[in-house]
Amino acid sequence: MDTLTAREEFLRLILQNKRIIIKICNSYCPDKNDREDLAQEIIYQLWKSGKNFNAGYSFTTWMYRIALNVAISHYRKGKRAGQLISFPEKPIDIADKRDGGIDMEEQARLLQQFIQELKELDRALILLYLESKTYREIADILGITETNTATRISRIKDILKQRFSTLNK
Amino acid sequence: MEDLELQKIWKAYDNKLEEIKVLNLQSWALNLRSLETIQTYKAKSKLNALATFNLWVVVLGIVWILFLGVLVYGNRFQNPYFSVSVSVILLFTIIAVWAYIRHIIIIREIDYGQSITDMQKKLAQLETSTFQSTRIVWLQLPFYTTWFWHNQWMSDPKFWLISFPITMGFTILAIFLYRKITQENLHKKWVRKLMMSGPEYTSVLQARDFIDEIEKFKRDIA
Repeated sequence: MDTLTAREEFLRLILQNKRIIIKICNSYCPDKNDREDLAQEIIYQLWKSGKNFNAGYSFTTWMYRIALNVAISHYRKGKRAGQLISFPEKPIDIADKRDGGIDMEEQARLLQQFIQELKELDRALILLYLESKTYREIADILGITETNTATRISRIKDILKQRFSTLNK
Repeated sequence: MEDLELQKIWKAYDNKLEEIKVLNLQSWALNLRSLETIQTYKAKSKLNALATFNLWVVVLGIVWILFLGVLVYGNRFQNPYFSVSVSVILLFTIIAVWAYIRHIIIIREIDYGQSITDMQKKLAQLETSTFQSTRIVWLQLPFYTTWFWHNQWMSDPKFWLISFPITMGFTILAIFLYRKITQENLHKKWVRKLMMSGPEYTSVLQARDFIDEIEKFKRDIA
C-alpha cells in the first residue's frame, strides 16, 4: 500500500466486508466489551498485513484467514485468563415469528450458542460453511484437505441438528 | 432439520447485522488513517505485549551478562575456579537470552495470512518453546557452588567432606532436572509443582494440548 489511494481502497474493502468481522467476533467472543477489542485487533492486523495481500487472491478468503487467526488467538488467551465462558446476551434482534416452533430470533441465538460450544477449529469450519464458502476454499483457509473438510462439516452439522432437535422435543 | 434450514437461520442473522450497530467498526477503522492510532494500537496488541515482555527479559539478561563479563574480566584468571564458574554461568545466560531474542524475531515475523492450522500451530509452539529452550539454564546450577572454591581448599578434608559432595549433589540434580523437565513431563505433578503452578504453566500446557488438537484436526478422518 504505497499510495494514499491504495490505502483508501484497502480500507473500503475492509469496511465493505465488515459483517465478516462482526460474525467472527460474535462467535469467538461472548463478552460484549471484549468483542470491540477483538474487532479492533482484527482490523489492525488486516491493515498491518495489507502489504502481503496478493491481488490475485480472493480478498474475502484472505480476510477470513486473518480474522479467524486473530479471533482464535484472542479466544485462547481469554480461555487462559479464565474470562470465558458465558453465553451471549441476545446477539441479534430478528422478528420473524414462526407458528408453533421457536421463533427465528431464538433460533439464531441458539445457533450462535451451539456454535460457541464447539472447539475453536470446528467453530471456524462451520462458520465458513454457513458463509457458503466452498469446501475447497474452506480447506485452503484452514490448511486441511477437502475430504477432511467435508467429513468434519458433516459431523458438525449432525451435532447442531441434534442440539436443535433435542430442544424441539 | 435440513442443511438449508441452518443456512436460512444464518442468513437471517447476517441480514440483520446490516441494520444493527453491533460495533463501532466504521469510525474505528477510519481512524486507522492516523499514524497515532496505529502506534497506540500496536502497543496494545497482545502479541506485541509478549514481544515487549521478552524484550525486557533480554534487557535484564544483557545487564546480567555485562555484570558477569566484568567479573570474569576483572578476575583475569587469578582464581581459575571463579573464572570458569562465572564464565559457564555467563554462557548459559547468553543461550537463554538468545532464545528470547529468537522469540522476538518470530513474533515480529508472524503472518496472520497463513492457513489457520499453520498459524495457530506456530503460535502455540512459540508458547511452548520458551519453556523448552530455557530449561538449559538448569545446567548452570552446580557452578553457583564452585565460584568461591580455592586451590588451598583442596588439601583440606572439610572441602572433600562438605563442599565437594554439595557440588556433586547439585550436578546430579541439574542433570536430572534438565532431562526430566520437558514438555512431555508437564502433566506430572512434581514437574508442575516445581516449575510453575501459575498462569505460565497453564499457558504452556494448554498450548501443548492445542498443538495435539491441531494435529488431530489436520488428520483425515474416515
